[in-house]
Amino acid sequence: MKGKSTEAREGKPSLASLTSSLPRLALRLAALGIIDSFSILLIYTFIHDGLWPLAALITVTTVIVNVINLWERFYPLRWMSGAVAIILLFVLYPIIFTVYTAFTNYSDGHLLTKVQSIRRIGQDTFLPEGGVVYSWTAFRSPEGEFLLWLSDAEGNAYLARPGEPLALVTADIPGMGVFDEGGVPTAIEGYARLGLVDILSILDSELAPLEFGEPPLIIKIRSVREAAQLQQRYDYDEESDAITDRLTGIVYPANNQTGFFESADGAALNPGYQITIGLGNFERLLSSPALRGPFIQIFIWTIVFAIVSVVSTFALGLFLALVYNDPTFRGRKIIRTLLIIPYAMPGVIGILIWRGMLNQHFGVIAANMVTFLGWSPGWFTDPIWSKVGILLVNLWLGFPYMMLICSGALQGIPTDIYEAAEVDGATRWQAFWRITLPLLLVAVGPLLIASFTFNFNNFTVIYAYNEGRPPIPDTATPAGYTDILISYTFRLAFESGRGADYGYANAITIVIFLIVASITIFQYRFMGMWEEVSENV
Amino acid sequence: MKKTALWLMSLLVVSSLVLAACGAPALATTEAPEEATEAPATEEPTVGPATELVVWADDTRSPIISDLGNEFAAQYGITLTVQEMGFGDIRDQLAVAGPAGEGPDIIIGAHDWLGQLVANGLVSPLDLGAQAGEFLPAAIDAFAYEGQQYGVPYATENIAFFCNPDLVDPAPATWTEVVTLAEELEAASGGESTAWTIQTNDPYHYFPVMNSFGGYVFGVTDAGYDASDVGLDSEGALAAGAFLQAMAEAGHLTPDVDYDVMHAMFTSGQVACIGTGPWALGLIRDSGVAYTVNSFPSGGVQAGRPFLGVQGFMVSAFSENQLLAQTVLTEVFATPEFMQALYDAGDRPSAYLSVLDAISDPDLAAFGAAGAEGLPMPAIPEMSSVWEAWTNAITLTITQQQAAADAFATAAQQVRDAIQ
Repeated sequence: MKGKSTEAREGKPSLASLTSSLPRLALRLAALGIIDSFSILLIYTFIHDGLWPLAALITVTTVIVNVINLWERFYPLRWMSGAVAIILLFVLYPIIFTVYTAFTNYSDGHLLTKVQSIRRIGQDTFLPEGGVVYSWTAFRSPEGEFLLWLSDAEGNAYLARPGEPLALVTADIPGMGVFDEGGVPTAIEGYARLGLVDILSILDSELAPLEFGEPPLIIKIRSVREAAQLQQRYDYDEESDAITDRLTGIVYPANNQTGFFESADGAALNPGYQITIGLGNFERLLSSPALRGPFIQIFIWTIVFAIVSVVSTFALGLFLALVYNDPTFRGRKIIRTLLIIPYAMPGVIGILIWRGMLNQHFGVIAANMVTFLGWSPGWFTDPIWSKVGILLVNLWLGFPYMMLICSGALQGIPTDIYEAAEVDGATRWQAFWRITLPLLLVAVGPLLIASFTFNFNNFTVIYAYNEGRPPIPDTATPAGYTDILISYTFRLAFESGRGADYGYANAITIVIFLIVASITIFQYRFMGMWEEVSENV
Repeated sequence: MKKTALWLMSLLVVSSLVLAACGAPALATTEAPEEATEAPATEEPTVGPATELVVWADDTRSPIISDLGNEFAAQYGITLTVQEMGFGDIRDQLAVAGPAGEGPDIIIGAHDWLGQLVANGLVSPLDLGAQAGEFLPAAIDAFAYEGQQYGVPYATENIAFFCNPDLVDPAPATWTEVVTLAEELEAASGGESTAWTIQTNDPYHYFPVMNSFGGYVFGVTDAGYDASDVGLDSEGALAAGAFLQAMAEAGHLTPDVDYDVMHAMFTSGQVACIGTGPWALGLIRDSGVAYTVNSFPSGGVQAGRPFLGVQGFMVSAFSENQLLAQTVLTEVFATPEFMQALYDAGDRPSAYLSVLDAISDPDLAAFGAAGAEGLPMPAIPEMSSVWEAWTNAITLTITQQQAAADAFATAAQQVRDAIQ
């Protein structure tokens, strides 16, 4: 092992080790070949679908992996190539994609790319005024030529071939075989009649694209029963980048500001398409009535919710950990196990149970409060008490985790410090404040910050408890007293306007990330002071 | 992103891990197989012959489609591959899978998704021709959007006014009678039971109340719902709000009522009447409480008309087999046997007339009759900005934190701001 790493560093493997590594070299090159062929296939697929950023990223990843594995100098990096691939594709790309989407109008109504949108709009057909609808029967020649037998409502029958005018069937047309009870020939000379099963297997792939007859009378198959003089309704012209409605004659030029094909009077064709709109989403957020209204109130409550949640769960968790850390306490293991249950249980279920217990009408807690206190608050309807309720529920959900990490961290504090403190005459209270807490905070400090960040965005608890309600009266956009930033903005992005707006949601996400990140950096600075304390202990 | 692409990408990562193992000193090679086994479980891409169609359906409907649907479709040489997913997930998944070319040919869905589905270009118009006459006209209308038909309906759903005949018989016909009934019942029971209750946070169940006073959500023109006419603060809506608040002030209505509480109050005889749908029939029947299914009381303008929801089949715009999928809808699904089987499986009145007329369950028949009077739930995308604002107005009114007129005026303004 040691010898090999020395070789690698010198870059001059001995002859003996080279021969022994030959099979391995072959294996490596083979594996690299497989990876490269996969990558090329992927890059090709992504380029074909217009997913340029992803194609570029895969190219970069593949080049890096190749360089690392082929160049002796980068030998030590070889172990990292897998990690590099994972980081680039599954961590970096989603982040880039999130940021990118924040600058687009990706939302309901703009899910498709422009090409897809044009294709979808082009599918629409219309029956011109006076257009005739026929029932049809298909015939096919051995060469694969199709012939349609059409009959209209008046009982006239026609033969239709692609590119030839429709021929009215008269008694003297030759080549007709025997007619069935519907008046359709069972065979036409040179053509075999197609059964339903045959027709269905080629309906979309072969029959639907065919245009029977000759302009101006073009007949297309509309359904398994009907063919009609259908015309494509919308026509896209690449040069003018506009769509023309053949039925009404209205022209819809592409509006690359709104992501729609829009006529002069503002009528838009569905579906719209995706475009980048620069800072549009951020401008919309900043000028939104949502910011004028209850934003400050909600922001303050978010911080209060996160801080109180962390402090209360930590305090209770630490208290219980201290109590059950005492080896003389009997049955502590079983009690500690029972206390972990809220942590092991799915949070949403726990919250639903609490909802039931707190309910004014049938809740056990509310009923007991009425019995013993003669009064019970509106846990879901009162602005203050609903906040208290949600903090209590979050305390119940969160303390076992804090108890677990505190129990672990307490084991790590050497007992001789306590003995020394006792010799110096410190009380247990003093020992807790001067020894236990500072040393504990060094260990669990980062976890407290993580817990703060988690609760700052704790959408589940808020939504499962009361969906952010009770409502705040007279707000510019719907908002509730227990809404935190993430639940409030979720509603802005997904439950207002005209449906889900992913671009806007991502812009909001970035803003919230910046807020949380700056708070977290501040907290880490603050925690740095504790580390200095620990160095002096 | 395409499923196949994701699959290949996972493979790329896994093989680069293997590569790392190969290129490394020999001791590491033992780890390689372990890494390889971690390759994510992948599914074969579902690209079949042209005569195979993929259907997305919920757990109630999918067994019927896979069994009876396939039996019928086999006559046409078509195989239906049913992929089961939650009813509500179908809409979201279609938006992702459709454009990526991985989506279904046929989906099950609700008519009020149409605005969103059409705006996103996810479903194709279809032509029912004369077959449209075999369905409840209201259900066919509900599946039309901007003048085009998009779905083949199979079931309708709406709420009706359930009353307990032990407490009130006949059911109250006006909201004034409901108030009188509340006073009588409360006096007689010492406040233990009352006349009517409603969820504190739910506009869907409140709509017939608002509607009976003449209130509306969006105005109606010939082209359908008109998003520029928001009616949450219309005269009728404010009158209904005032009625709701008067009920709460008099103590007839209590806050903090959710779906479960409302039904528990009804089944335990604490409340004489509630508005609920056919989905609650099982619960109410099991409880043994006596009940009748009635129209909603009138607020002076009309008997309350509930929202009508319609479920049906639609064709994905990204299907490679548009005509074939339509053929299945018209020839296989829109048949009496298939529609009967769908009706038998779910507690919803059928949207297919011959099945609807033959319903023997009097409760479901009553729902079906009420549904013919129902107003289709607005399918326009602007509806998504209504629910929360409307909910808040109702909650503020019932909890008396704000005067009803102000609460509903705010809600209407919130909707107008959101859709501009």
